[in-house]
Amino acid sequence: MVHALDEIRRTLKPDGILIDLRPVEDHWTVEVASGQNIQAAGRLTDMPVGVADDEAAFRAMHEVESHGWFTREREEEFSFFYYWDTPSEMKEYMDEEWEDFEKMEENVYRAAQSLWSTANADARVRVRVKMLITRWRKNQF
Amino acid sequence: MTLQKDPEGFEKKTLHKFVDVENARVLEIGCGEGRLTWKYAAASSLTVGFDPDHSALRIARADLLTHLHGSAQDKSRGTHVHFTCASAKHIPFPKETFDIAILAWSL
Repeated sequence: MVHALDEIRRTLKPDGILIDLRPVEDHWTVEVASGQNIQAAGRLTDMPVGVADDEAAFRAMHEVESHGWFTREREEEFSFFYYWDTPSEMKEYMDEEWEDFEKMEENVYRAAQSLWSTANADARVRVRVKMLITRWRKNQF
Repeated sequence: MTLQKDPEGFEKKTLHKFVDVENARVLEIGCGEGRLTWKYAAASSLTVGFDPDHSALRIARADLLTHLHGSAQDKSRGTHVHFTCASAKHIPFPKETFDIAILAWSL
């Protein structure tokens, strides 16, 4: 990972910018959304692989910073939403795509189903993913 | 499956708040199918997305026609978005080529 960051640094012009944009594990929230009405059904369980990936990424950026390769200029968290029409579609997607990273416990799934089934016809289910964006500036030696 | 990702456009808004890609040469690491690429590439002077996943790149290249080639801006400028298969361990470009590098969900 650090070698890759060094490669990126090599291809950047002097004073170039590196944007690191990625999701971070944080027990993402499952919600039911209908118009402006948002109801939380519960939170996902972070899986060890995802947590380890995050730790490795933070470690790599810390190492890069300590080498003086880049300077951290700005950082911010924001939400990124995944939407599905139904709870079953959400579950199917998570089982296929997120099995190593996030797990939806049965009680959270049941809560989402319950909220969704009693909400308006336009209701959808969504997951609020925590995102982190950091702007780094390439340093000159 | 009716999956929709970021319909509010928070990712695009935040990215543009953090970096100005206007006329910049941009390298995107881990571009996948190009989902993020389409959110900024039109304004750049050059965008190169790379990813080790051949099938994802095939989709990105196919979508190029939909996302950029139809725009007036692209017609006047010519094709300036490229996708290539590579790993971040060996980026196939000379040193000091790009103004901006974007790690797209890939660190």
